[in-house]
Amino acid sequence: MIILGIETSCDETAAALVRDDRVILADVVLSQLDEHRPYGGVVPEIAARAHLDHIDRLVAEAFRRAGLELQAVDAVAATCGPGLIGGVIVGAMTGKAIAAVTGKPFIAVNHLEGHALTARLTHGLEFPYLLLLVSGGHCQLLEVRGVGDYARLGSTIDDAAGEAFDKVAKMLGLGYPGGPAVQKAAERGDAARFSLPRPLKGKPGCDFSFSGLKNAVRLLIQEQENLSAQDRCDVAAAFQLAVADSIAGRSAKALRAFAARHGGARSLVVAGGVAANSLLRQRLGRLAAEEGFTLVAPPLALCTDNAAMIAWAGLERFRLGQSDGLDFAPRPRWPLDPAAPRLPGAGVKA
Amino acid sequence: MPSADPAVLAFDCSTTACSAAVLAGGAVRAARFRTLARGQAEVLLPMITEVMAEAGLDWPELGLIGVVVGPGSFTGLRIALATARGMAFAAGLPVAGVTSCEAVAHGVPEVERRGQTLLVAVDGKREDLFLQPFAADLTPLAPPRALMAEAAARLAEGPVLIAGDAGERLAAALPGARLSSAPPLPDARIVAALALARWRAGTALPPDPLYLRPPDVTLPPGAPAA
Ligand SMILES: Nc1ncnc2c1ncn2[C@@H]1O[C@H](COP(=O)(O)OP(=O)(O)OP(=O)(O)O)[C@@H](O)[C@H]1O
Ligand SMILES: [Mg+2]
Repeated sequence: MIILGIETSCDETAAALVRDDRVILADVVLSQLDEHRPYGGVVPEIAARAHLDHIDRLVAEAFRRAGLELQAVDAVAATCGPGLIGGVIVGAMTGKAIAAVTGKPFIAVNHLEGHALTARLTHGLEFPYLLLLVSGGHCQLLEVRGVGDYARLGSTIDDAAGEAFDKVAKMLGLGYPGGPAVQKAAERGDAARFSLPRPLKGKPGCDFSFSGLKNAVRLLIQEQENLSAQDRCDVAAAFQLAVADSIAGRSAKALRAFAARHGGARSLVVAGGVAANSLLRQRLGRLAAEEGFTLVAPPLALCTDNAAMIAWAGLERFRLGQSDGLDFAPRPRWPLDPAAPRLPGAGVKA
Repeated sequence: MPSADPAVLAFDCSTTACSAAVLAGGAVRAARFRTLARGQAEVLLPMITEVMAEAGLDWPELGLIGVVVGPGSFTGLRIALATARGMAFAAGLPVAGVTSCEAVAHGVPEVERRGQTLLVAVDGKREDLFLQPFAADLTPLAPPRALMAEAAARLAEGPVLIAGDAGERLAAALPGARLSSAPPLPDARIVAALALARWRAGTALPPDPLYLRPPDVTLPPGAPAA
């Protein structure tokens, strides 16, 4: 079984071909980073235009790299949300058009389900497992019980973790995207020089919050007379430590809750771009070991946005006999756990 | 070898409508038209499969895709163009683009146009309008542009006939101009015939969006130029 995957929900345009024996036959990603960099963040209209300019060519390139004909695919999967709706629409329509012409089934994939199921593509992981999704738009802890079956244990109530990295980097004048820049500066910084809050520490539940921490950083920067290069590195280090501590602290509670419910299953999967952060990985590795869990971290290229995860999520649904109509409406908001309450501060996606 | 009289599938989502049509052997075999302000991403593909089925055509029997490339709603243009490009890739078909203004202009009856300059005004959901002038015989006098209604007077000499969904707004700024009785929105039946004619003449537009406006963003202060 071979599935074509299409991803256009944020600032990566991507196409991939994935086979049911967990082999990625082609994985093509075009980053729009340079187009958005001058604006210090993703500009939705610029993103949507760029997706249209490139997606058909990238799909063709995926088939070329895999050495496959279009007729070799069994179904066409495209991200249909959540995300920047102008871009989502481009990928969804491209997928629908290819499905219509080839007569193959169309599968509308939830981008978050792509992230959630990646560990099954890369590691063949069995259900259930605990997922920490930390990306530019999300920060969530999810119990992954099966395809289409998720329980949200916690979510950010304001900013996403990656968003906080990006905003702090902007305040420190470190450039965009902020995550890698903050990490680099932090390597030369003293995390102990400044003390920053650990949001929601000691509070019940597994939710996250980063906006208070972000504001504390803003105040800290304002208090410094002249921010030297060393000051910047020290602030970056203190911030990074606070985020890692905070995420590890909230994840600890989720691990215990998960273990209480599912005795034998002991995997913590981390996904999303912030999973690239080495301090966070270290912290999560230690935490998992302490709690008797195994930390599963897919390779970085499959943690950030890509179409292989979309093809795989489509494949998982398709082999359960699921597909969608060509009238499927792209969704700006599409929670994995529809039963979880909508969090007021958490942007459009959570 | 491409046929000299290929069957055409055409569609449009550039304004507040969605339409699809199949033209084969010189006749429209099936057509659908719906006015709707949003939701073309849901409606377009089912509409296309319906007209293909009603026309009794299978994809290999098509020879050309016709599509409106703009100007109009940015999202609508991308819905139609992503579809056209996806189909072109999957079916190995050429795509012939036409403008929304042209499609509206070709719906204006000949008797109304006689002796007039035709100004087609498409609503751009902003202060300015998308405008294109045509001679009485529908020869375009200029490419489409985004202009304030007041500036439109300079586009046309002599008696002016106005069409398009922003026609009333334009008419308010052009005293003496008449409003055409033609349908104000593009229709895929007309797009199909126009795309075929343009494709035969080698003057079809590529399947690239005609936005006519840069993205609505400003650079943060002190940022280096893109
Ligand atoms: N080394 C790092 N440390 C911390 N954050 C990082 C690092 N590398 C990347 N990031 C952050 O990861 C985010 C990008 O991740 P990703 O591409 O998964 O998010 P997204 O696709 O924009 O969001 P979403 O999937 O939620 O819509 C950015 O906010 C970036 O700053
Ligand atoms: Mg993502």
